[in-house]
Amino acid sequence: MTTTTTAIAASMRDGYKDYGMGDMAVRALDGITVDIARSEFTAIMGPSGSGKSTLLHTLAGLDRLTHGESSIGDTVITSLSEAQVTEVRRNNIGFVFQSFNLIPSLTGSENITLPLDIAGTPVDKEWFDNIIGILGLGDRLTHLPAELSGGQQQRVAVARALVSRPEIIFADEPSGNLDSTSGAELLGFMRRAVKEYKQTIVMVTHDPTAASYADRILFLEDGQIVDEMREPTADKVLERMKQMGH
Amino acid sequence: MLRLAFKSVRHNPKRLILTAIAVALGVSLVAATHIFTNSLSSGFGALFEDIYDSVDVVVEADPDSDIEFEPTEGAFTDANVEDIGAVEGVSEVGPGIGVENLFVLNAAGDAPLNMGGAPTLIYNWTGVPEIDRSTIVDGRAVEAPGEVLVDIDTFANGDFALGDTVAVAAEEGVSGYELVGTITFGENNELQTANLMYLEESDLRELGGGIEGWQTIEVVTEETADNEAVAEEIGGLLPDGTRALTAEDKAAEQTEAFDEVLQYVDIFAISFAIISLFVGAYIIVNTFRIIVTQRTREFGLLRAIGATGKQIRSVILLEGLIVGLVASAIGIVTGWLLALLIVTIVETFSGELFGSVTLPADALLWGFGVGILVTMISALLPAIHASTISPMEALRESATQSKKSLTLRNIVGGAMTLIGVLLLAIGLFADVERAYVWVGAGAIVLVLGVTLLAAQVLVPIAYGMRGFLTSVFGVDGKLAANNIHREPRRSANTAAALMIGVMLLALVATFTESLKSTFTEQFQGNEAELFVVGTSGAVPQGAIDVIDDTDGVATTARFGFGDVTIDGQTQQLGAIDAEAAEGLLAFPTEPGIADIGAGAFIAPSLQEAGYEVGDTLTVRGDGGTVDLEVTGLFLTEGDAHLFVDWDTADGITSDVFLAQVIIDFEGRADVDDTRAAVEENLAEEFPLVMVQSPGELEQFFNSFIDLLLGVISALLGSALVIAILGVANTQLLSVTERTREIGLLRAVGLRRRSVWRMITVESMVMALFGTILGMILGVSLGSALVLSLEDFGFTGVTIPWLWLLLYTVLAALAGILAAIWPAWRASRLDILKAIATE
Repeated sequence: MTTTTTAIAASMRDGYKDYGMGDMAVRALDGITVDIARSEFTAIMGPSGSGKSTLLHTLAGLDRLTHGESSIGDTVITSLSEAQVTEVRRNNIGFVFQSFNLIPSLTGSENITLPLDIAGTPVDKEWFDNIIGILGLGDRLTHLPAELSGGQQQRVAVARALVSRPEIIFADEPSGNLDSTSGAELLGFMRRAVKEYKQTIVMVTHDPTAASYADRILFLEDGQIVDEMREPTADKVLERMKQMGH
Repeated sequence: MLRLAFKSVRHNPKRLILTAIAVALGVSLVAATHIFTNSLSSGFGALFEDIYDSVDVVVEADPDSDIEFEPTEGAFTDANVEDIGAVEGVSEVGPGIGVENLFVLNAAGDAPLNMGGAPTLIYNWTGVPEIDRSTIVDGRAVEAPGEVLVDIDTFANGDFALGDTVAVAAEEGVSGYELVGTITFGENNELQTANLMYLEESDLRELGGGIEGWQTIEVVTEETADNEAVAEEIGGLLPDGTRALTAEDKAAEQTEAFDEVLQYVDIFAISFAIISLFVGAYIIVNTFRIIVTQRTREFGLLRAIGATGKQIRSVILLEGLIVGLVASAIGIVTGWLLALLIVTIVETFSGELFGSVTLPADALLWGFGVGILVTMISALLPAIHASTISPMEALRESATQSKKSLTLRNIVGGAMTLIGVLLLAIGLFADVERAYVWVGAGAIVLVLGVTLLAAQVLVPIAYGMRGFLTSVFGVDGKLAANNIHREPRRSANTAAALMIGVMLLALVATFTESLKSTFTEQFQGNEAELFVVGTSGAVPQGAIDVIDDTDGVATTARFGFGDVTIDGQTQQLGAIDAEAAEGLLAFPTEPGIADIGAGAFIAPSLQEAGYEVGDTLTVRGDGGTVDLEVTGLFLTEGDAHLFVDWDTADGITSDVFLAQVIIDFEGRADVDDTRAAVEENLAEEFPLVMVQSPGELEQFFNSFIDLLLGVISALLGSALVIAILGVANTQLLSVTERTREIGLLRAVGLRRRSVWRMITVESMVMALFGTILGMILGVSLGSALVLSLEDFGFTGVTIPWLWLLLYTVLAALAGILAAIWPAWRASRLDILKAIATE
């Protein structure tokens, strides 16, 4: 939960990210300035190597910018220490990765409440049941991740991201490893979370169908935002991607 | 976080099993030692309580007083006994004398009943049950001089019958008594194997060499009396240098004194347990390091969703704590079983010595203490490493660790090796106080340094053997060499664990083999036919006369020791019949021993004090002060600081302890016959004087040294077992880690047998390298130790080749054994599942 009142959930100003040194240096982000609106489902698209994952990681405080500034809500995280960034992640951010989202030794429900356990905050039982209901996880809670299907694992991951009602959820190709039915289901849930609970979600994907669930799409190429699209459909996105030589 | 730690231990217990066994093994040694000594202590405690149960106050010479009473000089007179009898509350007074330095002989009367075993205790029979503490089983009490009672176990062991003559021998002289009855001590005759006898008072006074007065007075009080008050009142009536205390206090004091001795047993056994745990620490470090690597993505994910590095560290440490707790508990239980087993075995040979085998608090405390401490400390480095895993690691596709350079490890390892060698050299060869501290610290630093360096040295060598392994084992050998090369730290730590155990074994073997060859060399210069020693005391002069009078004996030469004072310091004086001894034994002297004349030969310690040949030594003894010229040097440091001719010694001190006599036969005499004659002549009056040929003596020494080596090897055995477990453990974990790779190899056609062989070769190479490195270190350290002790007579280093060969063969076998479980797992992998594994 957060007390920020601005309409911006996350932002970046003049973000640069270089990997390697000297001749080997690769510029992954090349002067990015972007605002992520609250309660919106934003997708980041672009060809491989365009810097879309790097943008997500630096926005989320998983990785540091070489140069520039990024914020979560009102908090400028680029000037914070590692411990402080960890605290911001813990209190304000949820994550859904493409794979390996869950701790293998913990059951479904333990994985879901893990962020709260780490922070030492009590579980809001009503909210928890609510999420479980929406995601249809009621009968899978006592299972270990190895006993869940890929779609179920990703739904547990989404539940985990939602449970602490973070300022913003970052999802990195959440449906990338799923078949199209499970993928559509998962993206439907995420969209519902945005619409019904005003949850802010930023998702990286290279799949036009997945991106069409978003309110807004940012197109990245060579570390720069080259375009954006509102009210997307899969066909429009595919068309735009073709122009980028994808 | 606690839950996460618990869950992940439970989720995958297999990877922690061998680690737990390693810890449990070490802990079981610690616990077994404590349980064993506790049981021994309670056994003797019960004995002491039994002894003092029936009396209430004990009056005796005060052990803390400066006044010392000779064994024949009783501290109390009849007047004292009467005074005590008049004290209010006293109902019985039992004045007593006892003789405890003699030996009861076997039925044939030619040797002690208990060779080198428990003592013979002889007391005066009073007829008062509370004082005697024994009750008559068969026959009757001692009524007149010349009669004896023995306890029922001695009666059975000696195969005596009532009416027999029971012989008691001093170093000089044998006395015979008619057996008139048997007794049982207390209720069950729990004498802890000692022989108990009762004589009539006047016989005992004579047997003890003319005992005057009473040595102890035991008092029974009236039931209503306050024992403390009675003891205090009696205390006021006593002569100087004596005391009165309650029987309870006396028993407690005895138990305490016994416990103090047992502490050394504890320290000795626990140092070996700690070596085992030190080796175990290597395994724990390896296990946790591998676990952390395997769980990199898990920790990365935790970091991403907000866990701090500190929380990750706590998870690992908590897991360490859980493993330590469980393993320690298992170790304590197995330790208890081990102690029970040892107690049972010992008691079948020795009779009842022990109290009940309980689980004392110190066993629990030590067991859990060392078990948890070792696990936690070993888990600390991997835990710190885990806490530095960045959240980005969660996003990597596979859990491969970036290769860290070995440079830092090499620099630290090299520096530690050098410092270790330096400390060792200072301790061994420089003249420092408490050299063992330097040696010990040096050895530990050296071992750690070599462990660190091993990653750089060992692994490339193993990799260099790739060609050889390939030619012998084909592609399996090549893959094995690659695998060892892949994780140099892990391979080095695994080999190093084995290295430590083997190093200690090789060190002890080098030391003992050198000791043996030193003895052998000494005996080679020997011309004497027989050596004569006493059983527990000095050889009596009378025995030498008997030997001299035996047909075929040409010469006898005596060796003895006594205390003298030089420059205000007490020094040990060695006395030799120099002229007779010359040529019989090779003495390390300069010039020959016969040149000693009326002067003295000095050992290295006095040479270092500044004395030289030609100087004058002022030696003071109870016979007067004598100026001796230093006429030569004794080249090795032994039992004495200076040596003089026997006649010279007689003029200085009256108190020379005759330790040994060497006998030379006449040239024409038959060796066996003459020896038999000597033994026969001695048996009559001197049954306690032992005769040994040089061969027997050498064998005795050698078997003693072998026993020492055997005991130490057995105690190091657990360290070696742990090290082998470490090899198995590392292999098992890396098989898990390489599941996908092994699946791929199988998919492209590698047969099960080949997988098995690949893992066995890996394990054998690690075991052999650890062993060889350990042997090099052990032999070097052992040689350095022997060289540093040259002053004490070591003639040179003997390298125990046979042992080294044995260790190598055993290491190869151990490597094969250690590979069984991991190889079995690897060869059973389902190919499809293995490839699908992340």
